[in-house]
Formats: sequence, structure tokens, C-alpha cells
Amino acid sequence: MATVFKNLLSNDVATTRTLLNEAIPITGSIVSGTYADKNIKYYSHGMFESVYDYPYLSSSANHIFDITYGYSPTLSSSANPMNAKKLNIYNQMAQVLAGYDVNNNVRQFDRDGDLTGGDKLDSCVFLNYSRLLVKDEVKKGSYTLTLLSGSTLITLGDYGAQNDYRVNSPSGEYGVLYTSSTSLPGTGVGLIYYQAGVAVITSSVNIFPSASNFNSVYSITGTGDYVRNVWRNNLLNNTTELNSTIYFCRANNNEFNYSSNPTYLSGSKIRTKNVSSDPSVSYITSVGLYSADNELLAVAKISEPLKKDQTNELTLRVRLDY
Amino acid sequence: MAFLDNSGDIILDAVLTDTGRARLAKGDGTFRIAKFALGDDEIDYALYDKTNPSGSAYYDLQILQTPVLEAFTNNTATMSSKLISISRTNLLYLPSVVLNEVFGGSGDINSSSTARNQTAGVFYVAVDDDTNTALAGVSGVIDGVDGSGGNYVRVDQGLDTDEVSPQRELDSDLVETQYLIEMDTRLGEILSRDGNNLATISFIDDDQIASYYLSLGTDLKFVSEITNNKKISDGAPGQVIDGPRGTSIQFKVQASIDLNTSTFLFSQLGSTLGTPPSGATSGTYEYIDSNIRVTGVTTGNRIDIPVRFIKKTL
Repeated sequence: MATVFKNLLSNDVATTRTLLNEAIPITGSIVSGTYADKNIKYYSHGMFESVYDYPYLSSSANHIFDITYGYSPTLSSSANPMNAKKLNIYNQMAQVLAGYDVNNNVRQFDRDGDLTGGDKLDSCVFLNYSRLLVKDEVKKGSYTLTLLSGSTLITLGDYGAQNDYRVNSPSGEYGVLYTSSTSLPGTGVGLIYYQAGVAVITSSVNIFPSASNFNSVYSITGTGDYVRNVWRNNLLNNTTELNSTIYFCRANNNEFNYSSNPTYLSGSKIRTKNVSSDPSVSYITSVGLYSADNELLAVAKISEPLKKDQTNELTLRVRLDY
Repeated sequence: MAFLDNSGDIILDAVLTDTGRARLAKGDGTFRIAKFALGDDEIDYALYDKTNPSGSAYYDLQILQTPVLEAFTNNTATMSSKLISISRTNLLYLPSVVLNEVFGGSGDINSSSTARNQTAGVFYVAVDDDTNTALAGVSGVIDGVDGSGGNYVRVDQGLDTDEVSPQRELDSDLVETQYLIEMDTRLGEILSRDGNNLATISFIDDDQIASYYLSLGTDLKFVSEITNNKKISDGAPGQVIDGPRGTSIQFKVQASIDLNTSTFLFSQLGSTLGTPPSGATSGTYEYIDSNIRVTGVTTGNRIDIPVRFIKKTL
């Protein structure tokens, strides 16, 4: 019986999961400088500002992250500019990232991730990275942010986070940011939420010498501008999770040795043969994957023709990524 | 589409087709890959040089150097020619599918003919009664209104060579038992030769191409065995296959309601004839050119039949 299809059996199909990482650098010159702030988008509500990698009016521009600032109700003062919005921002970020306690009160950000006690982060700068950069998540242990603190450079990082991270957030896994790889537990200066793609940095004077102005002098975007101006470098690796199905298309020695190509025959005679005992030769350039009702669902092309005859067998490994 | 880089390792460039993506988006479980086929679309077997004086290693040198295009996502534009699995390796001849234009005529039912219009090289499909009347003097016209008269299409399958006698029986594994007809469903549908039965559509893809699977023994009005085993030279009227014969498929085309009642698709997909077909009454004729593809499902052979949907508008 002649046939053009071959059924795929259960041992011809395999599924795999692969994590792809890309290194993402965000230099200080992009964040403030090169484009004279034409790549910074402000909004009339003033609750955050957006940073692009090119002047945002250009169609080539990509949104890379947002900066905003907020504090907890313990720091609330009607004398502060944008007091309500700073509270709202903090509560919004906290309810999404830190969650609620058993009484349904919004938790505050915790300095070391131990929610049962310890210091809380009452006022924080939030860096919300776009999905374009973060993809599925930030790779643990890859995040560093270098800022100019006074006259010295200070680098925050999730040092050692590949083996030390927290899972008690409703938004997935997070790590603690330290100022040094030798920092002691409990001395964290921020948190990095890997799947959410959000960095939470305390507005301590050790990090931002002008932090005292964040609450009482600066608006939210004023704080954002300050952070941008002390920004020197930011490195992170993103992660893309590839779920793949691999189809092993096996052509045995006695299969796929003839062709329905119109040039294959000359007057119904096979061109590659002189006599019937000559080997049947065909050349493969593509693999089609079909549904049970013969609809072509995927196609793969081979970069050069592969010779097929009864003396060889081929396994073509077609991977579809989702 | 660009060529694939063939300077280094062999790479495999895989994409979902538009149909594949559409099924995936449906989320109803219809995206399930169950089988595969291998194709050789770019290969020109005429380049196989069996007489190359440098030896057998050079026979297929030009074929192996063929650059290969990237994968198309259009499911109808790729995997046009498939490789065939036949367990026997000693075949020297393979069957072809051939348009039979000599079968019909005065001896056939309704005196129908299977020939195209020889001037235009197409089958005309008259999409309404006015056009049918206006084309009464034109050859190669299929009645696209109700299929009650006019021409029909017949495709024969077998070994088209005079080196093997038609009195030899075609090996059973080379007899085509199922045909696939693909045509643009916006333009029409497949109708039985007697005009009484519409073929059942198996599915319509995202490009509006309808697929009909018609089988020997099941679709009696479409697929039948060729029983005439006389040589053409000995007087086998209506036969085009020189050697052993397998099966044939015959059908008409019924124009769609859109073509029957409106000129919208003629404006969008077609044009206006400069001069009416020879033998037609004078007037303005609009037309759409298309192909109907007939493929042997078992043996993979295929043929594209040119059709011209035509409408007299003035």
C-alpha cells in the first residue's frame, strides 16, 4: 500500500522545558542624559514616570521600566506633597507584592522577608520593569543596581539569591537586595520580585542621601527624577520559559523512497532509475506535521536536501516551542 | 521567503502554519499533531544526471546543491509534493494523474464533453443562467448553475507509458482509492457529474480553501475504476492513460451564490475580459481565474486544473 503519511506514535513525541536567559544592561546614560529626558514620559496624574530606551514619541522606542514612590500610613502627613498618592502607591504595591495578613490588612514590605517580625520598609522607591525586559521572570542572583550615593558608588544586588530566596509573597518568588555580597541577614535594603519584575528599594539615607526630601519636598516624579539622576548602571538577566514538543519523524529504510514531485516521473517512469533494481532515491527538503484529518499544522524546512533511499534511515527531530 | 543558510550544519526551520495557529487559538483540542509527511517541493528531479561521466557520486550533485526556502506559514503553499512510502523497492514506473479531455462527447451522457476550452486553456464555469445562454456556442463550459448540462472534469490515474501494456493489471498498491479536491469555497462547490449531488466538504481552512475527500466504493458518483484495458492505439476511445489504468474521478463545479448573484468577487478577485470568448454572444464578461487541485491521497500525485468563473454582466 502506498502512503504519504506516517503516524506519530507515543514514543515519537517528547516534551521538554528550557529556560533561556538574556543579559539586560540599563545604563545611567539611557536613564538620564543621552536623550535629554525625551525618553521620560510623565503623566498628568503624576503617580509614576515611564522610562523608554529612545525618545518615546518615536515608534522605535520601547518602554523599559517605570519609577514610582510611596510610603506606608505610618509616615502619612497632610503637609507632604502628593500624600494621598504616595500612600496609594505604597498600599497598591504592598497588596499585590506583600499580600494581606489573616485580618485582611495589607502587609508592609519586610526587610528580610520574615513576616513574623523584624524591620519593615516604610517608604520605598519602586522600579517596575516592563515585560519586554523581564520576559517570564528575572533570573535569581543576576540583579544589580549601581547608584551614586553622595560621592560614592553603591551597588545593590540579590547576592546569593539563586540559593536563598523567599516564597511567601502572593506574587511569586522574591529575593532580598543587599549592598554587598558579604552583607549579613537582616541588613537588606530592598526586595526584588522575580516573576513580577519589580524592585522595591528602601528610601534610606544610606542609599539616597536626599531621602528625607522624598516625603516632605519631592513629588513622586520628583523622587523618580532624583533616582534617575543617581542611577549609574543596572544589570539583570531575564528568563524565558520555553515549553517544547519534539517530534521524532523517523523515516525507515523502506519508507519515503518515492516522490509525488511532478518532475520525479517522465512518462510515468522514475527519472532516477534505469532498471527496476536501481535504488529508489528521493530528496527531503521539508517535514509537514499534520492533524488526524490531514490538515497541515506545522512545517519545518531543512537547510539542504537530504538524500533518502533504501540504504539509509533518518530521524528528523522537529521542535515546536510554545 | 529567503533561502536557508546552507553553509554549515544542517538546520531545521520549523513554524506553525496559519491553520495550526488558528486551531491553537481555538483551544478546543483540535490542535493535535498525529502524523507527518516529508516533502521535496524545491527538488527538480530532471537535474538527476544518470549519465554523468564523472561517476555516480555526481549524478545528484546539482540536486544536493539546491537552495531551500524558509518555511511558509500558508498551509496551502507548502508540502505540495510529498514523498511516498512503498515497501517494494523495485518499481520502475509510478502512476500519474492525468486530465482526461477525450472521454466525453457524443457517446457520453447528455453529450457532455470533458475537454477544456482549447483557446483559453481553461474550463469556463458559467455562474448564472444568462451566462450559460450566452456561452451556448463556446466549448469547455461547465454549467455552474445547477450542473444539468455542459462539460465536466475527469481525471484518470494509471501508468501513463506505452512501454507497459494496459492489459497488465495495475499493482493493487498503486491504485488510487481516495482523492482530495481542493478549491476556493468562495467561488464554488464540487458537484457530481450528473449534477444531482454536492460533494461533502471535509473542512475549510483559514484561506477559504475547501477540502473534499472522495473515496472509491464510497463516493460512487465521483470515483470509479477504469475498466477499459485496451490500448489507445487499438481503439480505446476516451482513454488518455497509455499503460495500466487505475481509477478516475469526475465532477462538475457549482458556482457559489456570491458569484451567481453579485459581481463583488469578480471586482475583487477578477477582471473584465477584453473580448468575449470565441462563440459567445457579444457583451461584457467578468471573470475570476482559479485552480482546482486534485490529489491522489494514497499515491500523492496531483494535478491543478485551471478554471475560469465567468459572468456576463452587460
